[in-house]
Amino acid sequence: MDNGSIGAREQILGRLRRSLEKQETLFRKSIGRDLPDPPMTVFPSPADKSLVESFATKLVELSGSCDVLRAGTDVAEQVMRQVREWTTQSPSEPTEILSWAPNELHVPRLEQTLAGVGISLFVPEDLHDESTRARAASLEVGITGIEAAFANTGSILLSPGAGRSRAAGLLPLSHLVLVPLSRLYPTFEAWLLKLRQEGRLEALLQEGGQIAFVTGPSKSADIELTLTLGVHGPKTIHAIVFDDTE
Amino acid sequence: MNIDITAPYQTRVRQALADDNLRTALERAMSRLSEKRAQAVAAIDLQRMRDEARAIKEHAIKNLPELLEQLERNLIANGCQVHWAQTADEANEIVTDIARQRGVRRAVKSKSMATEEIHLNEALEDAGVKIVETDLGEYIIQLAGEPPSHITAPVIHKRAEDISALFQRELGMRPTNDPAEMCAAARKQLRSEFLEAEMGISGCNFAIAETGTICIVTNEGNGRMATSMPPVYVAVMGIEKVVPRVEDALLLWQAVARSATGQEVTVYFSVSSGPRRPGHPDGPKEMHVVLVDNGRSRILEREYADVLLCVRCGACLNACPVYREIGGHAYGKTAYSGPIGAVITPLLADDPKTAKELPFASSLCGVCREVCPVKIDLPRLLLDLRHDLTKLGTPPKYERAAIRAYSNTVEHPGRYHRLSKLARWFSRFLPTNKEGDLTRLPPPLSAWTQSRVLPRIAPRSFRALWSDRGGKDMGSSNDG
Repeated sequence: MDNGSIGAREQILGRLRRSLEKQETLFRKSIGRDLPDPPMTVFPSPADKSLVESFATKLVELSGSCDVLRAGTDVAEQVMRQVREWTTQSPSEPTEILSWAPNELHVPRLEQTLAGVGISLFVPEDLHDESTRARAASLEVGITGIEAAFANTGSILLSPGAGRSRAAGLLPLSHLVLVPLSRLYPTFEAWLLKLRQEGRLEALLQEGGQIAFVTGPSKSADIELTLTLGVHGPKTIHAIVFDDTE
Repeated sequence: MNIDITAPYQTRVRQALADDNLRTALERAMSRLSEKRAQAVAAIDLQRMRDEARAIKEHAIKNLPELLEQLERNLIANGCQVHWAQTADEANEIVTDIARQRGVRRAVKSKSMATEEIHLNEALEDAGVKIVETDLGEYIIQLAGEPPSHITAPVIHKRAEDISALFQRELGMRPTNDPAEMCAAARKQLRSEFLEAEMGISGCNFAIAETGTICIVTNEGNGRMATSMPPVYVAVMGIEKVVPRVEDALLLWQAVARSATGQEVTVYFSVSSGPRRPGHPDGPKEMHVVLVDNGRSRILEREYADVLLCVRCGACLNACPVYREIGGHAYGKTAYSGPIGAVITPLLADDPKTAKELPFASSLCGVCREVCPVKIDLPRLLLDLRHDLTKLGTPPKYERAAIRAYSNTVEHPGRYHRLSKLARWFSRFLPTNKEGDLTRLPPPLSAWTQSRVLPRIAPRSFRALWSDRGGKDMGSSNDG
């Protein structure tokens, strides 16, 4: 804090305290209750569908897409197919995609499988380095895992960390997101409750720098309320949901 | 833009009403947004959501000093630098100082009403920093050199062809009216701005006290880009944005999304608790939070705490019959328009009389109160503000004379009776339309008929009809 603003701080807090003490009734008509506890119980939970079905339906409604893999399906194979569909190069040419570190993608041996068909993962170490940044910005596809996913809104939660760049889910036009079933929650509320119980919520926020809830592809309706996709973030989001609970 | 925002209120409204394109665009957009909101809130227990949102914000304002201290403590513990600003000038100085000390020449900004309110762009440009708005709508109006006309849809007053012409001129885009192509042109231009800027600036939708966290709501992803790519991140927040817990921010986020655009949630909800940690591949190297008062503590002093509950969703603008006719620019040189703007603008001003007409730009129909996710009683506040503003200045002589004449008449049945008889006789000589309504009254009443008609005076009065039916005489003889 700089010196000038210490004065400002005391002035502001002092004025607020004096006004609050003086006024017995603060609002024209108070709601007359304190903080809701637990709060956030107003939004419907996807009771009529399975979690997976609800997540997939929501994501499609939001102009995203979703594959739900049956147990035993090769996840790596599915990833390869999706990347090939997105990239303009012919299958024989080597392709680089912007990625989280392989051990953050929830799928064993993914890197090796992709390497076998000429798809390599670029895992940036420092995006403030100019050449790293330019290389990352030139890639068409980004692949990430998730911290959590939410069935009733079709949202995912990305939490940055070592080997988990923000850029991978943000810079490329196409975002491939790997969703292990064990991380799929019905609602934000259910997830919050679990993290509170486990005492992990504060650490998740504070250690991540910035966590981000992402719900479908980037969009805007600023021009005559016409929906346009891929304004700044990805234009397409494809989720692959797979069973990791066996 | 056909409205001079520095002109007097009457002129601005006349200019807005004369702009047919503006009114078509407003009507279309506002009904669409209102419909989408109605669908989104029909799917949930709306009253419960409003009660919970309101309870959270009331708690926050009641405990504002303590929550701000807690927020500051946690932000600092998270590695942020915290600054306090009493005025717009102080806030601008803090941000330009940060820029100057780090040799920043280019900055990108995510859409923010607080920075609009303090005119941060002008201050940075004066300090030699090129500042680029990155929300598509804000970018368009920045290119056009105009202020925003709506809290959440800043370019609602422009048609696709106007925007196309602007992009062709400024970005060398090929001629097209396709929003997708215009969007792609902007993406390309703004992408390089994001990657080259040395500073990212955002506002703040909610600040979480318990964790020291700044939350940004966007759909385009510009908020996430501006807070992730540049090496320095500065968040500018009004002091009323703090909430106690993580749960509160998540609830309010959903309440704002449903109320503003009818979405369940926005595409991005960026939740920043400090600069990047050691070993992280990206994120800002430093993070600053500027806590801005700029009239908010004075609003509390003036006993208008209710407006500090506002979450800036814009639902009251979308629903307001007056906003739908005149749009945001008619509210003058202010960041806030519509019903909430009509209350906040005079209250934030050093001299409330500079915006004294705004509380009258309302028919008090009450629809703003119905759609507000935090149940702000806007009609009540507008009335209170009218009252306070009238006390501050003496009403014009003719107004006082007119009110005196009116009360002299209606307090005395005999006088009222005689006067209405005279008016009935006189009205026969006035021009009427097909329905028989009076279309032109003599001065000074002609002001009324300039933009509306006066229903014709009934050929027989109620009293006359009453006595025709054998009713007891209501007696003009009681006249004192």
